[in-house]
Amino acid sequence: MSHDRAVLAAMFREEWRLHSRLFGGRRFAAFPVFVALVGGVTAWALASTGAGTGTVVAGVHVLVLLFGLQTGSVGLVGRDAMRGLLDDTTLVVFSAHTLPLRQRRLLGLFLLKDVVYYAVLLLLPLAVAFAPLLALAALPLLWVTLLWTFGLGLCATVAVVALATRGRPGKLLAALGVCAVVAGWLLGLPVVAATPYAVFLAPGLDTAVAAAVPPLALLALAAVTYDPEHEPPARTAANAYRAWRRRVPAWDDPVFVKTMLDVSRSAGGYWKVLLSAGVLFVVSAFLVSLAESLVGLRVLPGVAFGSILGLTAFTTYNWLTQFEDATTYATLPVDTAAVFDAKRRAFAVLGLPTGIACYAVAVLWQGASPLDALAGLALCVGLQAYLFGLTVALAGFQPNEFLFDTVLFALFTLAVAVPLVPVLVVGFVAAPLTAPWALGLVAVGLALAGIGHVLYGRAVPRWRERYRA
Amino acid sequence: MNAIATEELRKSYGDLTALAGLTLDVPAGELFGLLGPNGAGKSTTIRILTGQLRPDAGTASVLDVDPVDDPVGVRERVGILPEQESPPSFMTPREYFDFVGSVRDLDAETVTDRVETWADRLSYAAKLDTMTTDLSRGQQQKVMITAAFLHDPDLVFIDEPLVNLDPIVQETVKRHLRDYRDAGNTVFLSTHDIDVAAELCDRVGIVREGSLVTTRRPADLGEDRLLDVFLREVGGGDADAGGSGGA
Repeated sequence: MSHDRAVLAAMFREEWRLHSRLFGGRRFAAFPVFVALVGGVTAWALASTGAGTGTVVAGVHVLVLLFGLQTGSVGLVGRDAMRGLLDDTTLVVFSAHTLPLRQRRLLGLFLLKDVVYYAVLLLLPLAVAFAPLLALAALPLLWVTLLWTFGLGLCATVAVVALATRGRPGKLLAALGVCAVVAGWLLGLPVVAATPYAVFLAPGLDTAVAAAVPPLALLALAAVTYDPEHEPPARTAANAYRAWRRRVPAWDDPVFVKTMLDVSRSAGGYWKVLLSAGVLFVVSAFLVSLAESLVGLRVLPGVAFGSILGLTAFTTYNWLTQFEDATTYATLPVDTAAVFDAKRRAFAVLGLPTGIACYAVAVLWQGASPLDALAGLALCVGLQAYLFGLTVALAGFQPNEFLFDTVLFALFTLAVAVPLVPVLVVGFVAAPLTAPWALGLVAVGLALAGIGHVLYGRAVPRWRERYRA
Repeated sequence: MNAIATEELRKSYGDLTALAGLTLDVPAGELFGLLGPNGAGKSTTIRILTGQLRPDAGTASVLDVDPVDDPVGVRERVGILPEQESPPSFMTPREYFDFVGSVRDLDAETVTDRVETWADRLSYAAKLDTMTTDLSRGQQQKVMITAAFLHDPDLVFIDEPLVNLDPIVQETVKRHLRDYRDAGNTVFLSTHDIDVAAELCDRVGIVREGSLVTTRRPADLGEDRLLDVFLREVGGGDADAGGSGGA
């Protein structure tokens, strides 16, 4: 027990120092305030435009569930994967090999630490953000159910990871479990009744017991099936490097080829880029249907989908830079500018077509007029180029880390909102689109692409100097 | 002719001084060892000389190229074996060597030939198509050694060359370094392993708190062992009245 306290204290200290080293202590400490402010404004805006408080509260539970699912995977993916994310950082959770501590217990403490840590730094300000919408007395309950939901996501991921240590049968069982939940939901079974959201809707012993069963069952499943000795077999591969170079001989760009191999060989392959875009596609569809129900007019689907799908640039750039950092090429005669250029090429090959393909599906599905489709296409491409340049300018090779730097994240949010919100408003109210409006939107798209290009051009020399400082 | 020359190199990381005016010369064709305790500034020296870091003050020249003004130009000419770097996770060694060969403008045939030679020499031919993330630390080190020598450079910078290697491979690497030096090339070896420095190096520079405190030729030390010199200079042992003569 005394060991547990010491380990837990070390993990808390480690978590704080990790984040404060990456982003600066004050900036990281300001993150909860930022979450409360942005969350509050967003919740109020959504509710006051007619989305309804219930919808917004349900939405925040879904978001927190997704966050819990994602968080659960980070600490458990192994030291090599952590190294890819955090350089040579080695966490206390991996110290079972060198200290007389059991891996199972370390993982349990790690998850407990995550729950407490995020409960205070993220979920508490998120609950506070609902002060404009809910009675003050309801906020503690919201905090509890959000925390509960986060834990549910965490436990689900841990159970899947634990099952995966049992080889193919374990993975099959995990897949069947996921399919069963999705099928149950699609068939109209009361899946939501067994979640913490149901406790928020109707607090009581019966809903609490129903909501407690899934996380406890998942945790028990993880404890029973997790094999700490599991080592995946060594993977081999035929030489794909030369084949890739032959595909784009004109570029003669080794870093581009390496980037494509990194994305294709890492978990999820190219599909993960499409999946990220797919999430934004769903968000676009939701917003369009919401706007149509609020405004009562037919929204311009081309403009709306094109604008939101432009955001896929950020997620794609994240995947393109996920597996290396500025030091990766330090021992080779590769200039930092050449690495950025390679990322831009990879983005052009992977990111732009993915965004455009999703956009094409949306246009066909929604039956956009030719003018609307053209304007949306220009916005989709222009916003992608703008976001690519903006992300490079603000984050360099670490787009996934800067999200926790309050100042940078605020800048990024503002820089995205400034062009996106007005364009979306136009998409929501300007139907039917006239030729002058369409031309204006095409011009906006081109201008955004130009700004992105300028941002990129100015950022690269700055990063080159910073990485050598 | 000097392969490497530095004058009053200084580098600090915040309040921490890594280099406090390092001046040294390494003639072409020498196997030079930079010896020092942990944190003495050895890796920072290599990073500055290979253009990875910009010094706060001082000058440096590597094969007549200024690593501050032309970092890529320096890295084109030299090979670098960093202490803790691993090859990219999602490539096999064979693909990584193709990648390094492309970056260094080597033709595919040359890469293939040299990789076969090195894989046989270091006994990892069977692992050429395994993802590098699934290789052991020792195997990854072999891959990095091969990458450092792939373009047959005139000068190599090596940071702790023998870590994670078994004794047989260690002997192979030592033999190669001597042969490489005998062919007229230069080796700049950073280590805190005194036995390795004494056995391999023509000349050893001892660095303490970011400054070069002495240089010695192990072959000329006679009764005075390199370990004794090291302990005197870095203050880690029975510091007698021995001076800091240069070689």
